[in-house]
Amino acid sequence: MADVRFLIVDDFSTMRRIVRNLLKELGHADADEAEDGSVALHKLRNGKFDMVITDINMPNMNGFELLTQIKSDDKLKHIPVLMVTAEARKEDIIAAAQGGAAGYIVKPFTKATLEEKLTNIFRKMGRA
Amino acid sequence: MTDTASHAPKADGKGDIYQRLGEITRELHEALKALGYMPALKDAVGELPDARSRLEYIARLTGEAAEKVLNRVDEAKAEQQKVIDSSRQLVETIGAVPGLKWAMPELLQWSSEIQAAAERTDHHLTEIMMAQDFHDLTGQVIKKVVALAGTLEQQLLQLLIETAPSAGSESANTPAAPESARHPELSGPVVNPEGRSDVVTSQAQVDDLLASLGF
Repeated sequence: MADVRFLIVDDFSTMRRIVRNLLKELGHADADEAEDGSVALHKLRNGKFDMVITDINMPNMNGFELLTQIKSDDKLKHIPVLMVTAEARKEDIIAAAQGGAAGYIVKPFTKATLEEKLTNIFRKMGRA
Repeated sequence: MTDTASHAPKADGKGDIYQRLGEITRELHEALKALGYMPALKDAVGELPDARSRLEYIARLTGEAAEKVLNRVDEAKAEQQKVIDSSRQLVETIGAVPGLKWAMPELLQWSSEIQAAAERTDHHLTEIMMAQDFHDLTGQVIKKVVALAGTLEQQLLQLLIETAPSAGSESANTPAAPESARHPELSGPVVNPEGRSDVVTSQAQVDDLLASLGF
């Protein structure tokens, strides 16, 4: 899975950088970034990505709205979306799962957690 | 024709409720004026922009600090990787020289220890990098408070305008609602989970919740 191309979506540049560095440490150096859902959607529609890692609480278009847009677009709905967010309400977690999110990580998180969730998603991608 | 004596909403609903709300608002305005709170409200409104800018200053400085740390971590990790690679090569080289590892076993041991120490240091650097997520979490809370202060300022300004002696109508210049107020349903980081059953406090609880629902 070394050729997986990620799109990291978060309005905080620090967080985007942390996730990008972690992905590199886990063997995935191919990643692009977006500062909100709107920019992310534009990049997704005009580029080629294998997975989206997104925050929820963002201006312009939040993570839930981005998830909805991705899952309702025939050209994008196959892309797994991993939510990495500080939103810890149970209703948000359930809503994300029901909306088609491939995984949900609450901040603060560890490298091991990210690795575990990615492994789970890769396994499902391999089966699909 | 108004029915100021009646406090019960009438059967035809919304219009009368809005009228009653308007009456309550006017009574509140008059009460605030009579009690002399308007100067205090003016002071509060005047201080809110300063409070917001101080919070934004905190967010900016903590962000710059996090970026500085991440820059240094990137550089340090690159150096550590060189040490790891070199010590690994040294271990292989020593092993490849006939008799050397028997003549000087400590050389092999030192090289292995250097490699292990460098790998541990690299792990610590990763943890330092991860710890910079404080900027994201505190930044989200600060954004919420700044937005709240903005909303409060907007509403207090509106209150002052409506009670000002020369104001005859609604202001057309009320500031727009802060951007994050457009999504009030998103709560951001949970600052105090004590006593709450509607939030999770660990990744294990997230995983358990999703597993219990079949996801």
